[in-house]
Amino acid sequence: MKEFLKTVFLVDLLQGLWVTFRNQKPSLVYTEEYPRERPPVAERYRGAPRLNVHPESNETLCIACNLCALACPEHLIVVAAERNEETRRKELTTFTYDVSRCMFCGLCEDACPVDALELTQDFELAYFTREGAIWDRQMLEEGPLPTQYKF
Amino acid sequence: MFRMAEILSNPYVQPLIATLLIIALFPLVAGYIVLAERKVLADLQVRLGPMRVGPYGFLQPLADAFKLLLKEDIIPAAADKWLFWGAPVLSTFTALTSFAVLPLSDKFYVADVNIGMLFVLAMSSIGILGLILGGWSSNSKYSLLGSLRSAAQMVSYEVPLGFAVVTGLMVAGTLSMQGIVNAQLEKGVWIAFSNYGLMLVPTVLFLIAGVAETNRAPFDLPEAESEIVAGFHTEYSGFRFALYFLAEYAAIFVISSLAVTLFFGGWLRPFPNVAFLEMPLNTVFPALLFGAIGAGCAVGVTRLMLPEQKGVLAVVALAMFALAAMFLVPALNPFIRGLFWFLFKVAIIVYTFIWYRGTFPRFRYDQLMDLGWRYLIPISMGSLIVNGIVLLATT
Amino acid sequence: MAAGATFLDTNEIVLNMGPQHPSTHGVLRVILKLDGETVRGCECVIGYLHRGVEKIAENRTYKQFAPYVDRMDYVAAVSNALGYCLAVETLGAVEVPERAQAVRVILSELNRIASHLLWLGTHALDIGAITPVFYCFREREEVLKIFERYCGARLTTHAFRIGGLEYETYDAFEKDCITFCDWFDKKVDEYEELLTTNRIWVGRTKGVGIIDAAKCKEYGVTGPVLRAAGVKWDLRKAQPYSGYEKYDFDIPVCHNSDTYDRYIVRMQEFRQSVRIIRQAVDSLPQGPIMGKVSKVYKPPIGEAYVSIEAPKGELGYYVVSDGSVQAYRLRIRPPSFVNLQALDEMCRGSLIADVVAIIGTIDIVLGEVDR
Repeated sequence: MKEFLKTVFLVDLLQGLWVTFRNQKPSLVYTEEYPRERPPVAERYRGAPRLNVHPESNETLCIACNLCALACPEHLIVVAAERNEETRRKELTTFTYDVSRCMFCGLCEDACPVDALELTQDFELAYFTREGAIWDRQMLEEGPLPTQYKF
Repeated sequence: MFRMAEILSNPYVQPLIATLLIIALFPLVAGYIVLAERKVLADLQVRLGPMRVGPYGFLQPLADAFKLLLKEDIIPAAADKWLFWGAPVLSTFTALTSFAVLPLSDKFYVADVNIGMLFVLAMSSIGILGLILGGWSSNSKYSLLGSLRSAAQMVSYEVPLGFAVVTGLMVAGTLSMQGIVNAQLEKGVWIAFSNYGLMLVPTVLFLIAGVAETNRAPFDLPEAESEIVAGFHTEYSGFRFALYFLAEYAAIFVISSLAVTLFFGGWLRPFPNVAFLEMPLNTVFPALLFGAIGAGCAVGVTRLMLPEQKGVLAVVALAMFALAAMFLVPALNPFIRGLFWFLFKVAIIVYTFIWYRGTFPRFRYDQLMDLGWRYLIPISMGSLIVNGIVLLATT
Repeated sequence: MAAGATFLDTNEIVLNMGPQHPSTHGVLRVILKLDGETVRGCECVIGYLHRGVEKIAENRTYKQFAPYVDRMDYVAAVSNALGYCLAVETLGAVEVPERAQAVRVILSELNRIASHLLWLGTHALDIGAITPVFYCFREREEVLKIFERYCGARLTTHAFRIGGLEYETYDAFEKDCITFCDWFDKKVDEYEELLTTNRIWVGRTKGVGIIDAAKCKEYGVTGPVLRAAGVKWDLRKAQPYSGYEKYDFDIPVCHNSDTYDRYIVRMQEFRQSVRIIRQAVDSLPQGPIMGKVSKVYKPPIGEAYVSIEAPKGELGYYVVSDGSVQAYRLRIRPPSFVNLQALDEMCRGSLIADVVAIIGTIDIVLGEVDR
């Protein structure tokens, strides 16, 4: 009997209507208006790569050990080094990173023993040409520049 | 001055002015109903809807209209050119013609035909032809199938719609639209709540059949099944599609107006004959409503960032305050309160249509026809008989 | 035309639901044979998303291949990683510490919730209810936020490593998980209120897409489809891995094996996953997160097959090693690929409008089907 009355008075439909109705509170709106509000990404986010430099002396922290290039599944890192005759150490000359083939897996970041290569929180990586995706050492050290919007 | 009064008393002038106003304003109104649908659906879906064009997205319909006008006009090579052109025109024409008899207010309407209700039902039936021709002229197997299904659905649901209307007409006693509203004024109660609450059944039936008539969710399978069987308007693009769209939203407005006129009192306020509610409901309520909307717009102005958006919203806020003030002027109030109540009730019913779309899944086609023929038609016939007997017994 | 036949006699027409389609969950081509409205049979054409993942595996070291595995079932990537890591660890007989196992369980169950949420949203969308998809994606956002905070990516997580975990859990990990569980329980109630008793939903899903238990076993169908047919088979209970035997949870089973039952089974799985997460977080042991694995991982010559209960069914990895740093052969048994075979059986006799619902209820992801 109760089931019959529920069917006649459309109780299940009214229940569904009530669920959607109470989700109309403005405080429940879940949209972030990008690009006005950028999403707060986590600290460990694997975004654009950056070659860290020593904060005071501005020397690169990279020791040209080539471990990142060996770890990369896509083989897109090319590290070139030359031997410094005075200190008998390898010094980094060029470091090329192809962002267009990178899958941001983080294996290079994990492999780096001195925390020189780091994947930052920048995710806005659009570029206008294919060549613009191949980052050289200078672009990697400056880090990506966040885009400015007018509003 | 006398020339003015002479011209205005000419029986053709007032309908002409009303017609011009309606035709000029309706595309804008339809555009804003589309925006309301997008915003209300967005609210139900915890998101924001259009926000960029104009303040909080309020100029979006203008952008949409502009875009549709600029689109390339594609006609399939094998399509029947004249029918392809004529089908959306027919749909829009019949939908807009129904506006001629809608009792928008006691002072503002195009015509008060003494078979007004029958006229609207006839126009909506002719509008179905526009759908069929649209599918036929596209010269595509699946367009035609989709349009035939849509037409079959609309024709089947016209029967319970008609029965519900007849039940309401029994209480009202006349087919003229203004006459129906005046009957409710005399009775002092809206038809939906009369006859000891038995008229609620035809009201609900009308609303369900009305949703099916206009091909809206949960009865929108012919439109949404464009995955496999393409709907009738697949081949239409640009302005022709805009015409079909306009026709659909005009039909929604017409069905809501029918429901409001027949069951919910038309341009009457709630409790139309209770004297002490005259002042609060006719003066205070509209003024408060528009004042609150104006205040909301003013708060919105402070939250916006772009100066042109702030300007537009500030103008809207001022307009709302002006409207609120107009309701407080006793000389103007009788002219605008009918229109206010009519549009207010139509807005509520259009909101419920959008609410249904956001909540319910779709019926499958066979379940849809099953519902119409096996449930709604017997129930509507039964309610007609029961209401008739009760009416006869009590008068 | 045959003698005596009129033009009203129907014959089969062939209809193509092409690779570009809003409801086939990826690039799936379904060729339907129709008799009027009724479907007489269907044939799936796959391969539009084939990327040669198994061949790539032969040219990468085990450690380098792990990110590729996420991209198969891209909807819920963590379970792919779990299966791969377990298979490679079994091959090399690596022992994973308990803390790593517990964190793996938590992330896998969160992953199951995320996958089922996407399934619910898209399935409801196919049937016409356009709001649950937004609610489900809102919940999924919260899960993806936890993944992002833990390993740095939302979708292609690369969360696990061979031998354990790379990252230690972040400070608020346990609190986040418990907050999510509390919030999510109420949301499941909301979905049930919206859909479970709704007469339109029931009408669209009851009696649609029936496949009985015997046929399921014949085709090799696993996962919620099998459990909705009445067979109580879940690899987490039958062949426990990664410490699942420590947790107390039920396996939801239904008996009608139609679309409605699969919906009920997956809704129950939401609640069971929340149970497991709560137990795992409460009993999270301290300790190391990485087992003893050499830097250059060279497993001995041999082969291993390990299968886990992914959200969509049994996900299996068969690894053959020839003693070098790269696998000799890696074969992946994707659940969606095997479950998709049952589409023909399920669609027979139903109407066109049901085909979309049936594809949705098997819960396929083309990345997995095509690899």
